[in-house]
Formats: sequence, structure tokens, C-alpha cells
Amino acid sequence: MIDLGRAGAVDRPDGEGRAGGGACDDRIRFTLALEAGRIAAIRFGADACPAATAAAAWLAGEAEGRSLLGAARLGSQAAHAACWIAGARLGCIEVAVDAFHAALGDAVVRGARVPGGGRLAVAMSGGVDSAVALAEAPGDAFGITLRLWIDPLAPDAERACCAPGSVRRARDLCHARGLPHVSLDLRDAFRTRIVAPFVAGYEAGETPNPCTSCNGSFRLHELVTVAERLGADRVRTGHYARIVEIDGVPLVARGEDREKDQSYMLARVPPDVLARLEFPLGRRTKPEVRARAASLGLAAAGARESQEVCFLGGGDYRSFLHRYGSGAGDGAIEDEAGRELGRHAGVAGFTPGQRRGIGVSAAEPLYVLRTEPDRNAIVVAPLRRLGTRSVALRDVVMHRERRRVEAKLRYRSPAVAATLLGDGEKRTLALERALFAVAPGQTAALYEGDAVVGCGTIARAVPDDDGLVL
Amino acid sequence: MIYLDHAATTPLSEVAWRAMEPYLRERFGNPSEPHAAGRAARAGLDEARVSVAATLGCAPAELVFTGGGSEADNLAVLGRLRDGGRVVASAIEHPAVREPLRAYRGEVAWAPVGADGVIDLVALGALVRPGDALCCVMAANNVTGALQPVDAIAELCAERDVPLHVDAVQAASGSDVRALPGRATLALAAHKLGGPKGVGALAGPGVRDLPAVVLGGGQEHGLRPGTENVAGAAALAAALHERQGPEAVAERRARAARRDRLEQAVGVPSAAHSAARLPGHALLLAGVRGDVVVHQLDGAGICVAAGSACAAGSTEPSYVLSAMGIDAAAARGAVRVTLGPETTDADVDAFVAAFTGARTGLLRAVGSVA
Repeated sequence: MIDLGRAGAVDRPDGEGRAGGGACDDRIRFTLALEAGRIAAIRFGADACPAATAAAAWLAGEAEGRSLLGAARLGSQAAHAACWIAGARLGCIEVAVDAFHAALGDAVVRGARVPGGGRLAVAMSGGVDSAVALAEAPGDAFGITLRLWIDPLAPDAERACCAPGSVRRARDLCHARGLPHVSLDLRDAFRTRIVAPFVAGYEAGETPNPCTSCNGSFRLHELVTVAERLGADRVRTGHYARIVEIDGVPLVARGEDREKDQSYMLARVPPDVLARLEFPLGRRTKPEVRARAASLGLAAAGARESQEVCFLGGGDYRSFLHRYGSGAGDGAIEDEAGRELGRHAGVAGFTPGQRRGIGVSAAEPLYVLRTEPDRNAIVVAPLRRLGTRSVALRDVVMHRERRRVEAKLRYRSPAVAATLLGDGEKRTLALERALFAVAPGQTAALYEGDAVVGCGTIARAVPDDDGLVL
Repeated sequence: MIYLDHAATTPLSEVAWRAMEPYLRERFGNPSEPHAAGRAARAGLDEARVSVAATLGCAPAELVFTGGGSEADNLAVLGRLRDGGRVVASAIEHPAVREPLRAYRGEVAWAPVGADGVIDLVALGALVRPGDALCCVMAANNVTGALQPVDAIAELCAERDVPLHVDAVQAASGSDVRALPGRATLALAAHKLGGPKGVGALAGPGVRDLPAVVLGGGQEHGLRPGTENVAGAAALAAALHERQGPEAVAERRARAARRDRLEQAVGVPSAAHSAARLPGHALLLAGVRGDVVVHQLDGAGICVAAGSACAAGSTEPSYVLSAMGIDAAAARGAVRVTLGPETTDADVDAFVAAFTGARTGLLRAVGSVA
């Protein structure tokens, strides 16, 4: 029989979570009150099937009196085992577990703290890399997963009603080790701080790099902040990069696996955040990590790689911009002399170096040289005009002042030797050889050896006809 | 345990047990065999057939024993439709009739019911046409307990010479059931009236010209081949006699009074409340999820049924309640409580207390989800 004694709601709750309302029409809500990091009271609301209602009641009964982290150990398998109901599927239970963990996460987002310290947090994505990082973590570790906004209209969009599969996988991995898992719903903040500038950047004619922004100013900062509230002064992630300390300053450095190296993506992470991070996979290769995952029996070992911008949900960024952009209409495709060669459906769909979608026939192949959103025009040129040796940077941050650097101007392009001219936030990068299709808006990661000593945002690329390197 | 799910099945009554027990052991023979053991079994089967036919008011030759109510319904529906033709059926038929009709490739016209769960006679009258292959109605609905105007429907069908099949499986537990004139057939199941599971009957003048759809050894006038369940037939005869005999009248009245008291005490609406209903039948609309109420009552040692069940991640409202115009949210709160002859006042009191407690807690839970 379901104990309905905790049915109801806490007045002025310190944490609140909901799930459900999708196809199954079950809805669960939790509210909780904290005292000194312990759950003093927790109540549930339910308009749901017997299994979901029973799981909600069981979770409330188990959680009351526990610390937030203690409660964060409670998950689907335990709830399913504890409240067996004929015919109940795990999916019914998950609705209650999602709502419960949403309430715990909400309490943490609102600033709840857990007494004690010295713990280790592992940032979990639900994929194989963080699964291995977790498996090798000590017994007092806990997992954290950030729930970020994903385009609900994308092909791989997750159900908006419940936690996405990635969050559930991360949670199950933690619970399988008996460790707590905390998931934080940062969808609104993520949309404001990362997705909106991404759309605005394209509309301004740039090619934004949301991943470096997210790592640099949002995701990892949130992780260390929240981990600290939960008594963890260190956060491990599954990134393929290293952290080196030079003259007392922690810097991101290239990972051992050059194929997977994510130092470029982490170029904007400030040293004070870096000082709290650990990248245990930085000295290993992806095949090694996969083999390790398989030997640990981790189900995520064979999982598909996610490399795309996460919020696109496997979709195309052009159709995303079409959905969420201001929708500036069609305009001219011109050559450098201003002659109209054709029409385009919106500048936001184009990035320097792009050939696809131009649809203009010419004597030699034409590529996007730049976009000019104020005129709603795209300027195209032959390949040889796309080389550049001189790149203007803005928002430059140097962790270690250097003139001679190696500059990496896109995630998948090689680093080239360069000289950094000027000082302050606006500087010019003089490249030793011309690079193809340098895109304003992209991050310039500046290396000395393997270490990222600084970074900036590409403001402008000056065309250079000579010596183009492809 | 307090058992208030008599519409699902019933405990074996004392008379049914006494009637069947000899045929399970000492009179175990196969009625088709001419030897002493076979003759003893045959005598029991004949006796059961005569008894059931007498209770229903048909000839023994117009009665076949079947493997249960669903089988009897299927034999009638599939037999009548073997050569095609149009069918008219009520929108609230039991799946034993509804599903063969849904699988049928010919034309099926579904007759509506009113808000009280009773077949709309005028609409049915307009639908049934001379030359139709079959008309199907139930004598009492298994979800709401609403009694259906089968005598009027039988008259209407006889006038137009349309064979009628009446599913009386639920009705026989608490209302008078009689074989109908014309080419009508009627289905029964023993376990709904104090008999064992796995035995039923198809009865009425329509049995005489009903085409066979199951072929085999020719037993039961060739309509239901297979070695006869003599013990089951004997139990069905005894149970039916008890439920349909003169002493049943007072028992039904007492059952209805308990049901009425229960409905008043719980203070929630009942579906089909304004219709004439089976005496022990109440379909409460709890206003909270019926399946959770059922779970809670089960925990308190009380067995009742939910009106709708969660299937494959979505709660399908009962088609019976939909046909009555009850919306999906209200239908989700349906709890079917069905009293039997052995139900006591104390059982009713215990139910009311447990139901009220569960409903109060669930109202709090539902109120807190918004």
C-alpha cells in the first residue's frame, strides 16, 4: 500500500521539482525544506499511475532526514525494487525519480550547501568518457550532470516532460556504484547565456563558437561553484586535455591523444576555475578509454560520439537559425566588386570558406569570403582570395604574456606560428603562413608548446593573396 | 480479504461444488463411451442440460455447453457471420463480442447508448434491417452493471427475422435471464455466478440453425467439439438454478440495498446511476486515479477493479464510459465495486472506510501536483 502520509506540498520550499505530463499523462512534483543541509521535510504531489505514485511516496519516505547528497543516492533501481507493483515498468518509476532529482538539483541551484568538505565531484555527461572518470573516482565522490537546453524541434530532441536519457544514464551510472548524483536544470540560463549569443553572432555575420564560450564562462564555472556547495573542492571531467602549471598559473594543455585533443575547446577556461579541475583522461587515448570502459563493463563503452554543438540535438545549424533567428530575408550574393551574382535565403546560413549553398556558376569555384549582415549581402570570391595572414582579435585574455605563439583558429584546423602584436584586449595576430577561411567570431587559441597561454575572438581577417596554405 | 470484485469472478458456491465434485472423481468417464463409466458421465451431462434448459426456458436440444462465456459469444458471432452479412451491435459490448466484430470484414453498425449506459432503442431500431445477419446486445453491461432492454430488442429482431445474440454473462449473476424467442442465442459463464471457471453455455432456439465454426468429434450438437466438461456442466446447472431460482429474489434485494448504502456513504457519483442495474454493481467515479485507489484498497485487503487500465504508457479510457459521454479524466477515476451474495454489511463498512481514506490522501496528492 502506498504511504500517502507525505502527499502534499511544503510551504515556501527550498527545492522543487516536477516531471511528467507527456504521453503517459503522469505528473509528479516534489517540494522539500532543508535544515543545515538535511532534508527536514519532503512532500510529493502525484496525478499518476500506481507505480509512479508508489515510487514518489517511497522516495519521500526514504529521503526525509537524509543530507542532500544522501538523498541523491536514491534512484530508479532502488525505487523499482522497493515498490514492486504488478505490471509496473521502469519508465513509470523514472517519472518520480526525475521529479525527485529535479527537486534536489533545484535546492542546490538555489544555494543549498552540504556540510563537510574534501569530496570529489565528477562531471557526468552520460557518455563513455565521464563514465570511466567516475569508475576510477574514490568512494566518496559524487556525480553532477548539467541539464542544458536542447532544441525541442531537433531530430534527437529529448522529451521535454522528463529528464533526458543522458541525465538518466549518468544518474544510473552513479547509483550503480552507490554514489550520489546531482542534476542541475540550467536550461534557462544556458539559453540566455550561450544559445542567444550564438544566434546573435550569426545574425551579426560572424561564425560563433558556442562550445568555447560555454566551457569558458558557463558550464565549468557552474560545475565548480555547485561542487563547492556540496563539499567538493575538486571536479573531474572526461575531457581529453591536460592541466599544466607554469609559474604558478594552471594552464590548459593539449591532451596525449592528438586526435581527440580538446584544449582548443577549453581555451577560455580561466585559471581560477582550472585550479579546481582535473582531466584524468588527458594522458590517455580514446581507444584506451574505450577498452577500459569495456573492461569495467560500462554500457556506455560503445556509445556514439557526440561532437556537434549539443543544443542543436543532431540537427543542422542552418535550420536551427531559421527557427530561432530574427529571420532576415533573402539578399544578394556578390563578388568583391559588388556585382550581384545570385541570391541567398539569409546571411545566417553562411560562414567563410563555405562553398555549399551558394548556387552561383562561375569560371572558377567561388567560396564565401565574408557576410555583411547590415546590407544582408554575402561576398564570394575564388579560393585564392580566402587566405589570410593578418587576423584582428578582440576580447584577448593572456594568462602568460607571449609574443611568439602558435595560433589555432578553428577546432579542426592546425595551429600555425604567429606573432601577437599590440597589447590589451584588442590585438593583431600576424600568421607566418596564410590560413584559409578565417571566420570572425571563432575563438583563437594561443599556444606556447602544448599549453594554452591565451585566447581571443577573431574580429576580422585581412585577405592575403599570397602563399595560401590549405 | 474482502472480495468486492464479483463482476470479475466469484468464489465457487457450495451447491456448485457439491454438484461437480462426483464428476471429478468417481463419475469421471467420457460421456461418448457406451460403457458404465461413460454412461454415468452421460447421465450427469444430460441432467445438467435438462436443468439449465429448464431454468432458461428452452429445449435441451437448444443448449450447448462451452468452455466459457467468451467462447459462447465467439461461437454465436463467428457462426452467424460465417457466410457474411451485416451486423448491428451495441457500442458497449464485452470484448468477447466486440473483438470478433472488429476483426470481421463485413459491415458492422454500432448502436449508441445513452448517458445512463442503456442502449438507445430508437437508434437500434433504426439500425436493424431485415436481412441483417446478426444483432448483438448484452443483457447487462459488465462495466456499469446497467441492464439492457433485451426483451424489446428480441421483439424488434424477431419482427425483422434477424438473429439476435445476447451476452448474458454478467446479467445472470443478479437478474432474471431467460431464453429469447425467434432465432436468438444467449451466452452464459459459470464463474460469474458461483460456478467454476472454464465452463459456459450457449442457449436458445437460435442454436438449432447456428453454423459450426469449431470442428471435431461432433459433441454438443457439433457446435462445441471436445470431450465434455461434465463436472463443469453440473456445477453451472446448480449455480444457475441457485441464482435464478425463487430464493434469489430476496438475496438480490439485500445485495442492492447494501450497494445503495455503499454508494451513499462514499459520496462520489456512480456511472449509470439512473439506470436499472445489477444489484451488487457500482461504478464509482472517484475523482482520483481509479487504478491507484484499487492499489490502495488491495493494500488494505480489499479487492475491487479499476474501470480503466494503463496500457503501454498511456491510460486508455474505457470505451464503455466513452460511449456514455463520460470524459477521459472522469473515466480515469472509475472504480468498479461488485458485491456478491456473501458480502456482508461489515464488508461494506470496511470498504467505505478504506476508500474514503485512500481518496482523501490521493486528493491531497493530486492537489499538490499543480
